[in-house]
Amino acid sequence: MADKTFIVKIKRQQRPDEAVRWEEFELRWRPHMNVIICLRDIAERPFTREGKESSAVSYEANCLEEVCGACAMVINGKPRQACTALVDDLEKPIRLEPLTKFPLIRDLQVDRSKMFDDLKRTKCWIPIDGTYDIGPGPRMAPEKQEEAYPLSRCITCGNCLEICPKVNADDQFVGAAIVSQVRLFNMHPTGAMHSAARLDALMGPGGIEDCDNAQNCVKICPKGIPLTESLASVNGQVLRHAIKSFFTAPKTIGSAAPEG
Amino acid sequence: MSAPKIIVVGGGLAGLMATIRVAEANVPVDLFSIVPVKRSHSVCAQGGINAAKNLKGEGDSTFKHFDDTIYGGDFLANQPLVKSMCEAAPSIIDLLDRMGVMFNRTPEGLLDFRRFGGTLYHRTAFAGATTGQQLLYALDEQVRRHESEGRVKKYEGWTFLSAVLDDGGVCRGICAMDLKTMEIKTFPCDAAIFCTGGIGSIFGRSTNSVVCTGSAQSALFQQGAYYANGEFIQVHPTAIPGEDKNRLMSESARGEGGRVWVPKTPQDPRPPRTIPENERFYFLEEWYPKYGNLVPRDVATRAIHKIVYEMKMGLAGDPAVYLDVTHIPRETLERKLEGILEIYQKFVGVDPHVEPMKVFPAMHYTMGGLWVDNENQATNLPGVFAAGECEYQYHGANRLGANSLVSCIFGGGIAGPAAVRYAKGLESRYENTSAAVYERERVRQQDISDTLLNAHTGTENPMTIWRELGDVMTENVTVIRYNANLQKTLVKLDELSDRFTRVNVQDRTQWSNQSLNFVRELGNMLVLAKVITMGALARNETRGAHYKPEFPNRDDANWLKTTIARYNGGDIQLAYEAVDISQLPLRERKYTAAK
Amino acid sequence: MAVAASNSRTSYILDKLQSLSGIVPIGAFLAEHIWSNSYALVSPAKYNDVSSELQQVPWRIFVETAVLWLPLLFHSLYGFYIWWKGKSNITAHPWMSNWMYTLQRWTGLIAFVFIAWHLYTQRYEGHGVTSYADVQQFLTNPWNLTFYIIGLLAASFHLGNGVWNFACKWGIAVSVRSQRAFGLLGAAVGVSFALAGIAIVIGLHYGAFPLGGYVTGGGQ
Repeated sequence: MADKTFIVKIKRQQRPDEAVRWEEFELRWRPHMNVIICLRDIAERPFTREGKESSAVSYEANCLEEVCGACAMVINGKPRQACTALVDDLEKPIRLEPLTKFPLIRDLQVDRSKMFDDLKRTKCWIPIDGTYDIGPGPRMAPEKQEEAYPLSRCITCGNCLEICPKVNADDQFVGAAIVSQVRLFNMHPTGAMHSAARLDALMGPGGIEDCDNAQNCVKICPKGIPLTESLASVNGQVLRHAIKSFFTAPKTIGSAAPEG
Repeated sequence: MSAPKIIVVGGGLAGLMATIRVAEANVPVDLFSIVPVKRSHSVCAQGGINAAKNLKGEGDSTFKHFDDTIYGGDFLANQPLVKSMCEAAPSIIDLLDRMGVMFNRTPEGLLDFRRFGGTLYHRTAFAGATTGQQLLYALDEQVRRHESEGRVKKYEGWTFLSAVLDDGGVCRGICAMDLKTMEIKTFPCDAAIFCTGGIGSIFGRSTNSVVCTGSAQSALFQQGAYYANGEFIQVHPTAIPGEDKNRLMSESARGEGGRVWVPKTPQDPRPPRTIPENERFYFLEEWYPKYGNLVPRDVATRAIHKIVYEMKMGLAGDPAVYLDVTHIPRETLERKLEGILEIYQKFVGVDPHVEPMKVFPAMHYTMGGLWVDNENQATNLPGVFAAGECEYQYHGANRLGANSLVSCIFGGGIAGPAAVRYAKGLESRYENTSAAVYERERVRQQDISDTLLNAHTGTENPMTIWRELGDVMTENVTVIRYNANLQKTLVKLDELSDRFTRVNVQDRTQWSNQSLNFVRELGNMLVLAKVITMGALARNETRGAHYKPEFPNRDDANWLKTTIARYNGGDIQLAYEAVDISQLPLRERKYTAAK
Repeated sequence: MAVAASNSRTSYILDKLQSLSGIVPIGAFLAEHIWSNSYALVSPAKYNDVSSELQQVPWRIFVETAVLWLPLLFHSLYGFYIWWKGKSNITAHPWMSNWMYTLQRWTGLIAFVFIAWHLYTQRYEGHGVTSYADVQQFLTNPWNLTFYIIGLLAASFHLGNGVWNFACKWGIAVSVRSQRAFGLLGAAVGVSFALAGIAIVIGLHYGAFPLGGYVTGGGQ
């Protein structure tokens, strides 16, 4: 019996400055395949459908269970994680493209360091005094933990940036993921003491003002994070902070110039 | 003298903790990681982190935690550091709590604890079922803060190739490769801390992440570092089998009341939900009434193997057993286990809230690793430290669930300051090391890459060699070990190593060449595979995760000792070292009753 | 690359003003405008009364400039700038809210052109003085009528969706539930403004006074 096969089309680019080419691979179908297995099949037998020798496809992947965020790519037009993209659920031929909102490295691999830089710029951490043994952390109501926990599951995959009309070459909106992290840290009893600095960092071009409520982010988030609630919540926080810091003097925290 | 310079390789829990501790001492630190540190394998840890805080009125204590850990590890671990770790665990939880980890809470606003394998106490703090992710993020955030304040410099997207050793064998830096430009460079330092994690890739499919190849450990081993207890490989009893990887189904599923069973009638074709209670065989509960579904992992794994392969009672069509959480209220599942149930739903397409999950054991963790001393996480190479899964110190012959996160943070927390102390005590710093020492190592590594890239005649596909490596290791060097099979494995490994000399890196470019990097890792995996297999072959006893039916008992008279592998110009030699059992008396390990 | 964090808050303030100006004064004025023009459905006399009342506001040119022309101009021009900065991806991801995002931009443009023309014909050409007869005559032209209807639909949609946007962007509606509630409120505003507006222009077109019945006795 002939094996069942299917086609995968991949947008390839050896280097950022080289020409784009599409390659088609014919792969043998097995049960429970995902896109990662497709890419590994190609690495083991790197010949295109026409029989031309090609090379393994470059892509980022690590945990393969959708907690590390590495393997985001555009699959059949939708940005998502390759590990949870099951072949049986995908329309054939399967089209694989790199994320478009980040600098390309090679093939399906992009550089998402912008997101980590933005986490730095927005001071997304709890400024503890040190790692010495100085007793327990603040108490927290279970309800509060249940509200915060989903936000803390953000895997920095960048799909919400990819899908956002306001993230592009002309508008460097930090994106829903970062805004949602600011909300998370402002929610924490210790983090809240330093919320002003985070809110300051979200004022100005690229900040919260750039969200125009297309609400695509919440639909694409692989972790189901309530991103639109985070955006609205932080919108309110920034506004209250702006009004308060305009009317009250002297300004206490955060010189509004967090330069990293 | 100027401030010393520290390098940390690996940005998982242990590496980040070490980095924070070094930065806190105001010593500059360079942090190297293959992936952005936030994507490290620690994110995969699910169930929780152990600390005997005794918040449930059960009379738990750090001593009991220590005793459970040593007993669970079948008395192979050196006891003093394990004791210190268990004593430090409650303060580690406090620290993480202060860092903002969203641990689950009790109505009073305190940390909630769940039960885990190998203990009778509620000792495991948890953040949903994604505790590792939450912990890693907390440390990642602290490192980012130190980075923004200039104390840490990150090299993400670099892979470690080798240590730079001077003529006296002292570590003076590292040699690493930029995975984007493929540039090979040396980086000077006074001490290097390795936190390079697991080795799952050697077994092909495991619960580990793609980067867990053990390549760094193997490279150090080939430079003279000792590798200890390599044969102790933990196979997790409950994973979702998959072709790309076996996905972990956390012990917390059982900690929250999940039950493991098979139909009493072998190959029963009925859907699991329709099989009545009295026709189900809850074999763990029946065989181990005291611990039930929460026996240690090696015990549960062997029980499942026995059910499936010896008793032929596996599920119809699948070598698997049921892990059932359908009787637990949905609200509890959503609050405490959502992260893992979601994984099952996404990858299997079946809702575990209503249908029992099909699970099977999978390679999960290495108890063995780089040899480190009993005090400072220092390896035998001067200036080289190690912490986390890549070293051997804390888990003996079998690791208890939820002890890995605590050992990573504890070990990293020791390694950082120890490296700083060591560096400050050096008579001569890296500045005085001749440039020729660095250049020598860089050229050696560059030659390896160049040779691979220019080997146009290669006929062997690296992915094929890797698949065969994984198959033979999984078949013969995991749950059940027979000497004849281990010998065959060594022959196979020699064959693979031979074929590896003819490997073909199809991609010859000098830009983000993932094939080249993979081939270099594969070479290192083959060496470590041999260390593991040789250790297993030599150890003629059964202890913890190391199970030999031909030698079914623990043999303290002959084998209460640590295996130490050394590399001598291509040859691997095994030596042994006594275990420090100064704190607890030896006892027989059995889980059929309370110990 | 590099983003945000200029220590100037100018763009933040401008963005917030753009959002606010759509509700107050522009949205409020639209409400008032539809209200006062609804008198066209009562009687020409009443309509002319109300119109002349409004046309005799003291400091009229300054009031109009401050409350209408400047906010309108700012709201539109800054809105176009925001539009230019975004890159719609509605064809790839045709979700409802994404449609709203895209339509908000196009209806803004249509409303802008319509208002410009409406001002030119009704305010500039008529020197700020118009009567029922003038308007009715203007709207007998079917092309004028069509464009009015399109303009009214666009403006109503833009305002209705703007109410929802405003609630989200000012952090008033944070929970998904409240955002949905504001979405419904916005829809109600949009639909009722559109219906009222279209009723007025059609009434003018046909010279009908459906609301005239119950005021005949009372009058002025």
